[in-house]
Amino acid sequence: MERHAAERHAPVSRWGCTNVIDNGLLVQMLIGALLGVSVYLPLAAGQLSLATPAFYAVGGTLAALLSTRWAALGAGADGSFPLPSFLLELLLAGALAGLLALLVGRLVLRLQGIYLAIATIALVEIVRVAILNLPFTGGAIGIFAIPQPFATASGYLVPALALLALAGWGCQRLEGMPLGRAMAAIRDDELAARCMGIDTTATRLSAFVLSAVLAGSTGALAAHFLNTWNARQGSFDASITTLAFVILGGSRSWLGPVVGGLLLTALPELLRPVGDVRLVLFGLVILLGPVFFPRGLITPGLLERIGGRRQEAPR
Amino acid sequence: MQTLLNGAAAGGVYALVALGYTLVFSVLGVINFAQGALFSLGGYLTFLLMGGRISANGGLPGWGLPLALPFAPALLLAAMGAALASLLVERLAFAPLRQRNAEPLLSLITSLGAGLVLVNLLQLLMGAEGYAFPAGTLTGLPAAISLGGARIRSVQVLLLVICAAAVLLLTLWLERSRGGRALRAVAEDPTTARLLGIDSDAMVRLAFLLSGALAGLGGGLVGVSVSLPGPYFGIGYGLKGLAVLVLGGLGSVPGAIAGGLLMGLAEALVPADASGWRDALAFAILFAVLLLRPSGLLGRRLVEKV
Amino acid sequence: MLKLGAVIALTGNANLYGQDQRLGIALAQQWFNGRSRPKTPDSASPLTLELEDGGSDEATAIAAFNLLINAGALALIGPTLSQQAFAADPIAQRLGVPVVAPSNTAQGIPQIGRYISRVSAQSSVIAPLSLGEALRRDPSIRRVAVFYAQDDAYSAAETVIFQKALAARNLTPVTVQRTQLADNDFQNPITAALQLNPQLVVISVQAVAGGNLIRQLRELGYRGQIVVGNGLNTPNIYPICQRWCDGILIAQAYSPELDTPINRAFLRLHQRANPEQPPSQITAQAFTAYQVLAEAITRLEQQGGLRGQTLGQARSRLMQELLGGSYDTPLGPIRFRPDGEVVQGRFYVAEVRMQPDGRRGRFTLVRDLSLESDPQDPAPRPATKPSARGERP
Repeated sequence: MERHAAERHAPVSRWGCTNVIDNGLLVQMLIGALLGVSVYLPLAAGQLSLATPAFYAVGGTLAALLSTRWAALGAGADGSFPLPSFLLELLLAGALAGLLALLVGRLVLRLQGIYLAIATIALVEIVRVAILNLPFTGGAIGIFAIPQPFATASGYLVPALALLALAGWGCQRLEGMPLGRAMAAIRDDELAARCMGIDTTATRLSAFVLSAVLAGSTGALAAHFLNTWNARQGSFDASITTLAFVILGGSRSWLGPVVGGLLLTALPELLRPVGDVRLVLFGLVILLGPVFFPRGLITPGLLERIGGRRQEAPR
Repeated sequence: MQTLLNGAAAGGVYALVALGYTLVFSVLGVINFAQGALFSLGGYLTFLLMGGRISANGGLPGWGLPLALPFAPALLLAAMGAALASLLVERLAFAPLRQRNAEPLLSLITSLGAGLVLVNLLQLLMGAEGYAFPAGTLTGLPAAISLGGARIRSVQVLLLVICAAAVLLLTLWLERSRGGRALRAVAEDPTTARLLGIDSDAMVRLAFLLSGALAGLGGGLVGVSVSLPGPYFGIGYGLKGLAVLVLGGLGSVPGAIAGGLLMGLAEALVPADASGWRDALAFAILFAVLLLRPSGLLGRRLVEKV
Repeated sequence: MLKLGAVIALTGNANLYGQDQRLGIALAQQWFNGRSRPKTPDSASPLTLELEDGGSDEATAIAAFNLLINAGALALIGPTLSQQAFAADPIAQRLGVPVVAPSNTAQGIPQIGRYISRVSAQSSVIAPLSLGEALRRDPSIRRVAVFYAQDDAYSAAETVIFQKALAARNLTPVTVQRTQLADNDFQNPITAALQLNPQLVVISVQAVAGGNLIRQLRELGYRGQIVVGNGLNTPNIYPICQRWCDGILIAQAYSPELDTPINRAFLRLHQRANPEQPPSQITAQAFTAYQVLAEAITRLEQQGGLRGQTLGQARSRLMQELLGGSYDTPLGPIRFRPDGEVVQGRFYVAEVRMQPDGRRGRFTLVRDLSLESDPQDPAPRPATKPSARGERP
C-alpha cells in the first residue's frame, strides 16, 4: 500500500527528543542569558536592580517603531530588512536605554537593597503603562509586522551569540579593569570601598547603565525575533524571572546568569511532555533550586575546579 | 464624598494585603511574593466551604465539599486555611534558607516559586473560569446604599468594615498581648529578643500564620464582592500591596494602613480621560515617595537586610 | 497518518479561553470521527491532532508553533490571543504552514500572509448590530457611556467600532471609561459615569470582568439599557452577574439557538461534555476551526490530492482547498475571502434572559441577520465552487 505522501516527506524527527530544542528556542534561551547578564551587572556592584525588563521594553519598542515606521531603514515590501539597519537598531536601542538609565539611575541609585529593588519594579510598571498608553505604540495590540533581517529563526543565532559573546568578553575584561574592581569592592563592602577612595556613585551608575545598554540591545533583537512588540513584554513577572536567572545560575560570575538564563528559558519547553502540570513543576524548580543551590549552579569554587583542571591539562 | 468613599473601599483591601507583607517583613526583612497566591487561595477556599462546586473545566469536575457553610464561618475557615498554607510556604521557601544562612535575596525567588506552584495548582483543580458566590451569600443587605449623596455597594461597605476590624484587632494584639509584644521584639531586634528568651523561629512562624490569614481574609472578601475571576486574581492585589507596603514604610503597621487608604484615594482621583494611566499612578507615587523619603511615609529607619 | 496541530492557551491568564477552545476542538474531533466518511483510497489514514500549550505570551506561542511545524503538522489551529498571532503566524507563513485562527479578531491577522486565515469574524461586523437594536427599542437615547478594557487587544478594537457606529448615528459618548483586563471592581469608573446620567451603556471587556461590570452597574442604580460586546458571548457570565444579566443586549457571531443539523450535533456533543451550560462562542469557533480543516482535507483526499506530494506541497494544496470551500458550521454558513478573512453569513442579536433563581440563563435570539461579514468588500463575491480554485493574488 502506498504510504502517505505527507508522512514520507515529513522531517525525520517526528516526536522528537532530537528536536525539542530547535533554533527558535535556542534564540529565546540566548535572549534569556543576555537578560540574565543584564541583571547580573548591577548585582556585581551590590545593587539589586530589577529594571532590566523596562530597558528591554524600551529597546524593543524603539526597534519596532524604527523598523516599521522609518522607511529610510529600508524595510522591504516582502517583510525583509537590511542587516546593517538591524545592527544600527541594536546600537540605537542600547544607546537610548543607556541614556534613560543615566537619567533614572541618578535618582534611584540613592536607594539601597530592597528599596532599590522595588523602585526599579515601579519603573518597569511605569514603562509598561506608558507603552500601553502612548499614542504611537499601538495600544494593547502593539506593533506588528516587524520586518525580518533573517529568513529563518536560525539567522538570529548569530547576532544573539555575538551579543552574548561581547557581553561575556566585556564582563571578563571588566574583572581586570578598575571599574570592575571597584564594583567588586562595593559589593563586598560599600563603606570600605568609599574609604578606599572609590567613587561609589559613579561606579554604581556605570554598572546600571551598562546593564541597561545590554537590555536595550537585547530588546531590539527580541522585537525582530518575535515579529511583534507590545507593552506586555516588560512586566513585573519578567523582573522576577530574570532575577531568577541570576539567582539559580549563580551571581558570583557572569557565567552564572548565562547558565541560569539558558536553563530556565528552556525548562518550561522541556517540560512540555508532562502536560498540564508543567508550570507547577517549573514553580517547584524555582522554589527548590535556591534551597539546594543557595549560591547558584555556577559558583566560584566550581569555576576554580574547572579552571584548575584546564591548567593541569597541558602538563 | 463619592471619591472619598471609592478610595476608602479600594484602600481597605490594599491595606490588608500590605499588612500581610508588613508582618513578614518586620520579622525577616524580606518580602514574601507568595502573598498574592495566598490571596487567591483564600477566595477559592471560601467558595468551596460555602458549598461551591468545581466546574467542568476543573481537575475534579462537579466535585465540592460535602458542606455548605454560611459566609462568615466559611470566611474564617478559609483565612485559617490560607494561614496554614502560608506556614507551609515558610517551611518550604524560607526556613531552609534561614537554616543555611543563605542570602535573604534568595527568598524573593523561592517565595515566587511557591506562589507559582500554588496558582497553577489552583488552576489545575478549579479551571480558569470565574466563580461567583451563591446569590444568597449576603441576604438581607440592599445592593447599594447612599451616603451623603454618594452611592456605594453594600458589599464594599462590609468589606471595608471587616478590613478595618481585622486591622484594628491585629494592631491591638500587637500592642497589648504577650505574643504581639514578643513579635514586635523580634522585629525590633532579633538578637536582643533571643537573649530575652523569645523563640524567634516561633515568632517567624506566627508572622507567616497571621499574614496568611490576612491574605485569605482579603481573598474571601474580594471574592464575594467581585467573584473569583480566575486563579491569577490575587496576583494583581499582591503587586498593589507591594507598592502600598513601600509607600507606608517597610515594616510599619500604621504606615501600611495609611498607605493603603492613600493609594485607594489617589486612584479614585484619576479622571476618566486618564484612567489608562491609573495603574502607573500607584507606582509613580511610590517612586516619588521613595526618592523624597526613602523610608516611606511612616517608616522609621532604612532597613538593610537585603 | 495526517497530523493537525493546535496551539492554545492552557496556562497563563488566557487559559479561560484556552480551556473552552480545547473542548471545542475535542468535540470537533468526536464529531468528525463519528461521521461516516466517504470511501477514498486515503480514508484509511486517520486524522490526528497534537495539542500544545501556547501559554498566554508570545514566546511560548512561537515555541509551540515551531515544535508542531517541526513535528510535521499539516496545518495549525491557534494561537489564542491576537498578540500571539502577530508573533507566531509569521513563522508559519514563512514556512508555508496553513493556520486557522479560532479566536483572533484583531485587524490585520489574515494579512500576515497567504497561509493565515481565521474563522473568528472581526468585531467590525458584529458590534454595531446590537447597538442598532438598543436604539430601535429606545430612539430617544442621547447620552451614551462607553466602557472598555484598554489593555485587551480585542476590547480595544471593538470599542473603536462601537464608537464609530455611535458617531454614525450622531451620538457622542458622554464618557469613555478605560478599565484594565485585571480589573473587577468598577466602583470608580461606574460612579464617575453615572454622574453623567447615561441612558445607554456600551461595554467592551472580557467575560468575567464584564459580568462584574454589569452587576455593579445595576447595583449602583443604573436602570437603562446595556449593550455588550462579543467578549461576553459566553455562559461564563451568568454565575457572575446572575439576575443582573437580565435584559442585556449582545451581538453574537455564534448563537446556541441556531437550528441547523450541524449546530444541533454540536450542541448534543457539548451537552454530553458539559451538561451544565450551553457552549460559548469561543468553543463553537474552535470547533469550526477544526471542522473547516477536516472538511478541506477530506475533499483533498477524495480527489486523491495528497498522494505523491511532499509535506510542503500538501500544505500548500490544503491552504488552497481550505480557502476555496464553503462550510456549514455551528456558526452558520461560512467561507473565506481570498486573503483568508472569514466571510460569515449570519449574525445574531440576543437578549440575555435569566431564570428566576439567577443562576442559569440563556441568550434569547432577538434578531437573526443574514449579511455578508465583509464591509471592506461590499460587492458579494460569486460563490466559489470547489473546482474553481485559482492562485490567490
